[in-house]
Amino acid sequence: MELQLELQSQRSPRRFLPNPAKLAVNALLLLFTASCIIPLLWIGYSSLKTQAEFANNILSLPSAPQFSNYWEAIKLTNMLQLSWNSARVTFLSVIGITAIAYVTGYITARLDFKGKRAMIFYYLFGMLVPIHALLVPIYLLFKNWGLADQWYTLIIPYIAFNLSLPIMLVSSYVMGIPREIEEAAAIDGLSFSGTMYRIILPIAIPVLTTVAILQFFSCWNEFSFALVLLNDESLRTVPLGMSYFKSQHSTNYPQLMAGMILSMLPVTIIYFVFSSRIIAGVMAGSVKG
Amino acid sequence: MGKALRPKGWVLVAYLLPGLLIYSFVVLVPILAALRDSFYSWTGGPKKTYIGMGNYKEILQDDVFWHSFLNNVLMTAYGLIGQVGFGFVFALLLMSKMVKLKGLHRTMSYFPSTLAPVIIAFLWMLVYNYNYGLLNAGLTKLGLGALVQSWLDLTGPIVLLASIPLSWQNIGFFTLLMLAGLSSINKEVLEVAQLDGATGVRKAWYIIIPLAKPTLVVASLLCIANNMRGFEHIYALTGGGPGNSSSVMALYAYETSFLRFRYGYGSALAIAIITLTMLMILLSTLLLQRRNHSKGGA
Repeated sequence: MELQLELQSQRSPRRFLPNPAKLAVNALLLLFTASCIIPLLWIGYSSLKTQAEFANNILSLPSAPQFSNYWEAIKLTNMLQLSWNSARVTFLSVIGITAIAYVTGYITARLDFKGKRAMIFYYLFGMLVPIHALLVPIYLLFKNWGLADQWYTLIIPYIAFNLSLPIMLVSSYVMGIPREIEEAAAIDGLSFSGTMYRIILPIAIPVLTTVAILQFFSCWNEFSFALVLLNDESLRTVPLGMSYFKSQHSTNYPQLMAGMILSMLPVTIIYFVFSSRIIAGVMAGSVKG
Repeated sequence: MGKALRPKGWVLVAYLLPGLLIYSFVVLVPILAALRDSFYSWTGGPKKTYIGMGNYKEILQDDVFWHSFLNNVLMTAYGLIGQVGFGFVFALLLMSKMVKLKGLHRTMSYFPSTLAPVIIAFLWMLVYNYNYGLLNAGLTKLGLGALVQSWLDLTGPIVLLASIPLSWQNIGFFTLLMLAGLSSINKEVLEVAQLDGATGVRKAWYIIIPLAKPTLVVASLLCIANNMRGFEHIYALTGGGPGNSSSVMALYAYETSFLRFRYGYGSALAIAIITLTMLMILLSTLLLQRRNHSKGGA
């Protein structure tokens, strides 16, 4: 998505010499953009150094890349197990969020019914409520119901706490689809459900993709619920596993950095593949929010 | 929508119910359960002793809790400057014709938002580290070796130091939010302003800021909500330390319950946090909206 609005005067003359304000503004933004990337690059190349090399000069580039840091980090964190746990929980949560958000969002966009305002408000409340204050009561509730320490444990809070924004995104997207399409479908004899699944669902694929990607980040990165609801080491997710790795091996910095790089690899890849869609989605969501 | 398309009542209920059930189970039920448990002295065992308002009375006198609350408020203030403020400035700059590489700025500045808070905290722990930190190394390179220190052991500015990673991670998000808000401003208004001779900073101050007010309000509310519930960054960066100097409410409730096994008191803390947060959000909504109206009338 390209932002077309330009606030600057259209009659500003072209200059041969760069104007100081222009230089300053560009320098400021470049500086900020660099600050978003340089610490990550530093971690990236430092993860390839030996411990002695890192201690000797923390800024220098590695003389010979040490990929062994990565093997050690994979072994010590049990990264494959962590990734599998995270992937399973994330995948199922994202499916659940997207499905519920589609149905709920579609219905709120197209139908009026008693309690609709209250329902929308109820879902909005979820964006403001301090979820981390609820860690204790949720832990007690899950323990009572035998829902803690199961492979599916995290899917429940992940779906519930990520419904608010997707519902609003879907709802406002559906409002932008002409109603004539559904009316034509009704005249052809299609039921409400038929219209929702066979006519509108394909049209809503772009917004559902955006929702799925944004919620992928949210679920993959989640830490607090994993910390509280899981005791079983074999169920740990990537952020949780990393936090234990950090506290147990806090002195080997290159190895810790290798672990950090590994843990952020999936989100990094997905972000840079889909960045324009993600940015457009966040902006669409913010206007509505 | 035409009558023909309206589903039967039970179909509607069947569609909406799964979402409402799972959402209520994790949002509403725990709040009600916490409210109930908050009247008991309970360490997790079978023995629960009803103590009425005892826990709440204790909260009122609990210095650590109120210190944590103040830290939340302080973090919110830093967040409003660092996230909403800088986000707005960057958005204004990104809309100016002077700026090159807009796509790069947008893409890169949002990237940290996609990383796990825990990873952001580790990253900044390495930045602040005394022996191997980027910050101290940078200061030494700049000839400011006198400023080198063990940053996360400073009790004074610790909340500010812990807020910087949060702002760093979230500026990109707020920049996008502001860009979206700014791009929905009617272009004709801006053109008229320009014809009247308003440019640069004056245009931003007199035209854009009043028009962007709704976006600024939404962003501020989101920022307040985010900072009042901050947990992960602090947990992973300082663990609330040194001492309790960087503790926040959610972390204190977590420690009370899971490290000291005071579930009754922890539940009361949960209710207190929710109440205080909602109060803050309500107050700031009223404040921001009133200012909005008075400006609009002037």
